[in-house]
Amino acid sequence: MASLQPIDPSAPLGRKNAAHLLRRTTFGPSRADIDTFTNLSITQALNTLFNEFPPADPPLDLQTGASWVNPKPTLANSEEGDLMNMTFAWWLELMRLSNNSIIDRMAWFFHTHFATISSRPNNGTAIYYQIKLFRHYAMGNFKELSKKICYDNAMLVNLDGRLNDIGRPNENFAREFFELHTIGKGQPAGPNDYTTFTEADVIESSKVLSGYNVDWDFGNIDQDTGVAMGILRGSGDIASNHDASVKTFSPRFQNTVIQPNALVGDKATKEAALDELDQLVTMIFNQEATARNICRRLYRFFVYYNITEEIEQDIIGPLAQTFMLADYELRPVLEQLFRSTHFYDNDNGIVTDDNRGAIIKSPMEIVLGAMRFFKISIPDQQSDLAGFYAAWFNVIFEKFRNQGLDFYEPYDVSGYDGYFQEPAYNRNWITPNNLARRYQISSDLLIGYKDENDNLLYRLDILSYCQSEGIDLNSPQAIVTYFVTNLFPEAITTERFDYFKSTLLIDVAEADWVAAVINVEDFQVVFHLENLINAMIQSPEYQLF
Amino acid sequence: MQRRRFLRNLSYAAGSTFVLNNLPFSTVSSAAPLSQLAATSTNDRVLVLIQLHGGNDGLNTIIPIDQYAEYYQLRPNLAIPDKGKRKYIPIDSGLPDANQLGFHPDLTHMKDLYDHGKLNIVQNVAYENSNGSHFRSRDIWFMGGDYDEFLPSGWMGRYLDHIFPGYPESYPNTTMPDPLAIEIGNGVSLAFHRSNGIPVAISISNPEQFYDLINSVGGEPPESIANTHYGKELKWIMDIEEKSNQYAGRLKDVYDAGANSPNVTYPELYPFNAPPGRIRNTLAPQLKMIARLLSGGVKTKIFIARLGGFDTHAEQVESYDATMGTHSALLYHISSAMKAFQDDLKSLGLEDRVMSMTFSEFGRRAFSNGSYGSDHGTAAPMFIFGKMVNPGVLGENPDLSNLDNGNLPVKFDYRQVFTSALVDWLEADTAAVEATLFSDWVDRRLPLVGNGITGLKEEFLKKRNFLTECYPNPVSNQTTFSFRLSSPGKVRLEILDMQGRVVKTILNTNSEAGNFTIPAELGTLNSGTYIYRISSNSLNTSNKLVKL
Repeated sequence: MASLQPIDPSAPLGRKNAAHLLRRTTFGPSRADIDTFTNLSITQALNTLFNEFPPADPPLDLQTGASWVNPKPTLANSEEGDLMNMTFAWWLELMRLSNNSIIDRMAWFFHTHFATISSRPNNGTAIYYQIKLFRHYAMGNFKELSKKICYDNAMLVNLDGRLNDIGRPNENFAREFFELHTIGKGQPAGPNDYTTFTEADVIESSKVLSGYNVDWDFGNIDQDTGVAMGILRGSGDIASNHDASVKTFSPRFQNTVIQPNALVGDKATKEAALDELDQLVTMIFNQEATARNICRRLYRFFVYYNITEEIEQDIIGPLAQTFMLADYELRPVLEQLFRSTHFYDNDNGIVTDDNRGAIIKSPMEIVLGAMRFFKISIPDQQSDLAGFYAAWFNVIFEKFRNQGLDFYEPYDVSGYDGYFQEPAYNRNWITPNNLARRYQISSDLLIGYKDENDNLLYRLDILSYCQSEGIDLNSPQAIVTYFVTNLFPEAITTERFDYFKSTLLIDVAEADWVAAVINVEDFQVVFHLENLINAMIQSPEYQLF
Repeated sequence: MQRRRFLRNLSYAAGSTFVLNNLPFSTVSSAAPLSQLAATSTNDRVLVLIQLHGGNDGLNTIIPIDQYAEYYQLRPNLAIPDKGKRKYIPIDSGLPDANQLGFHPDLTHMKDLYDHGKLNIVQNVAYENSNGSHFRSRDIWFMGGDYDEFLPSGWMGRYLDHIFPGYPESYPNTTMPDPLAIEIGNGVSLAFHRSNGIPVAISISNPEQFYDLINSVGGEPPESIANTHYGKELKWIMDIEEKSNQYAGRLKDVYDAGANSPNVTYPELYPFNAPPGRIRNTLAPQLKMIARLLSGGVKTKIFIARLGGFDTHAEQVESYDATMGTHSALLYHISSAMKAFQDDLKSLGLEDRVMSMTFSEFGRRAFSNGSYGSDHGTAAPMFIFGKMVNPGVLGENPDLSNLDNGNLPVKFDYRQVFTSALVDWLEADTAAVEATLFSDWVDRRLPLVGNGITGLKEEFLKKRNFLTECYPNPVSNQTTFSFRLSSPGKVRLEILDMQGRVVKTILNTNSEAGNFTIPAELGTLNSGTYIYRISSNSLNTSNKLVKL
């Protein structure tokens, strides 16, 4: 059976487990990162991953060279759409530089889970604050985050929460809050009943969620997070557009009744409306189904997409218990998972159910992973802000998009298919077009990207990389071994190894390597190394992590 | 091998007197071995599915005119007006009064297709216990199961897996050189998933770029794969890569060999007001590509195209005009793109081979919300296009005074429609239907396919467009012309002499659809025989009269 039994808390992780842990909890390790973690115990490794991270400085506007989020852009700033793209670049740079911290990996998880289609708010400030909210809760409390997301400015636009008022309900957000964000849909049990919630609950909860509006002035700073939040409509203390009636939920929620605890006339006070939201979130998170649903999402994101009955029983169930006992703090549940023998396939004698290397990379892991592994640098935003943005915009609008990831612009509010769509989940990343585009990334990186003035903005300089890593260039065997062990998640056969070696040697006999390649010009060496890197990145093996 | 089609349509032909190759059909139907042969044959018919992504608002697509007051009351901020320049377009005066329907004013092209017998509308389609979740409901339509079933495969995947056994290893081959199915865009729906292995469809957006791309990348694949979770994903990737390599060249060849008709212009933009993101017609280029691939000889059986934006919780219509905005633009896109597609197919000589149908995960709530939008509902109409469809409207208008929790009651199961397409259009045999898991629906099929054999279409058109003999005839001085038109537009009624010269114009005007009686004074005509001729959108015919 699968088991959450922890591995030895103080023994060194060893190379294979270290690499696995880093691949799943960051956007991909470098060789040095793997080496460092190899000698750490799981306790030390988790302390590093969960190390508190200082809050990031806000993004800079290319037009002014300064931040625009204090609190909002002025006429001197770039247009909203551009500010939004700058916010994406800013976040991607944080991911690229997040070292061995889990923070942006979790923030990305939250984005895939509470997916916002950014063109809906089309507002750089709102998106900035949403990312800030995600980063704030990266190692925090999922339930708290879920509550905040209900009146996050970007989300209020994304799912029409801002249009949901007394007398003119809009169910869009309420439905997706149940289905996508929290408890999830259960087995259909009959008309309008999805086991975990009912259509009547959607209607009642949209009443609880009524009366909020976007604060385009971004002046309502949340005390807990420092994030600018949406507001309740109304003047003074009165939530004028909030439905103050008594809301009664179905037996699926134990017939819970939610109503304002303070009324002025027939209106709830704003405090009372927020208290109702608290009650709604508490009601939903009191259900075990909610804990299970979130744990399944975490499992699919960090471990493997196929949740069998055995996994549901042995892994999801216990994780959900931990989650509920910790009142939805994320760290205990994540630590339990990352410490588990199951995570490292030490929980049973069966090797076929090893989940290492069994997730298909998203374009994020393909591109960011390569950047981090090969230490590809992007122009520094302090000294070359234009170059910095041009480089990232190229990644976002050429690389990601061509590979099937429209960054922060999923086709649907359910998020990107790769994280969501049954039955294939991560396999959805692989279509003929996308796969070819993923393969193309190696030559793209090796050729590099230049701006319109011919300034090189990023490039994989493979010879410098090999030299800085101290790879013995005189030995084809050593070169191939280095990349096979560090780039691929699983060992390969001797025949396969020889194939990759042949792509390095091309038509040179191994015995002649030094004389025919190394002792000639650098470009000869580069030519051979690039051929190897192309073959390795354009392989099915590199698609997995 | 085509005979099986005739057998299947016996029920629709009942009462007619048609004979097949001079044999009465009792003889044919007793020829049992025929169906055995047909079972192993594949015809050249193609099914194009158009996914309306997000949940299409059926009530603003086809308006139940008979209950206009109720309709308006349910959704005053969305209701399509019953008067003015942008009122609904009455679909068909030949329908019973209780089932009178109006098209959204931006469905003029669809009205034209309807008038030419190339459109069938199935009313109130969904399934028992309709699920309010986009994602679950979409999965149900794709997997072809009940509301509480969870299948890992889709109905198209199961069907194609059955009729093309041994996919992917044995494909492409000489009988099936093309992808079994093509999904336009960048992903493959659950519909095309098989129980195991890669889906039967590949997704492409441009065959030429696709070819260049595929040929610019790749290396040798690994030879051995472990039976592990890792190995399974590796195999998945390798299988897709292999199919991509195999199909890329062929699709380019087919695409290059094909061409769209030079006489057809596919629509690009919505001509009225809508949010900027909805102005461009994204369906038209998809259909255009399908037509071109077909003209190039592609043998792919099923295509899926997709139009997004139907999740109209807010700003479904413009606040100042309910006939414009997001939903109107989307309807215009379907209507204008389908008209161009049909015209293109006709011009390319492919019209007999292609049937298209729209579907959406659900309809929308009968009453609107406060944001000029509508929340998730249940039943909605499906539109079936093609020369070979059995034209008309199937099913009755929803009863707006008997809603089910604010939703339209479901009258047809979506599998009735899909099974009809499978059996009567693609000619799936019993085993194929069984493999698709649609056996339960075979007896509940709908007469969607006309095949042009049974005369149903001619009957449909004749019932809606006719010129009766003028009365009295022979004419001494006065006579009355009577005719019926199913489509509005220019009408000319003229009297010609036997040399074909127009001697009198009775009518030359713009007309609504409907029944008309036009009295005329013919006293000035010389005695003799004349022709009276009507020219209009939907009716062009003539008859003789004698002047005394």
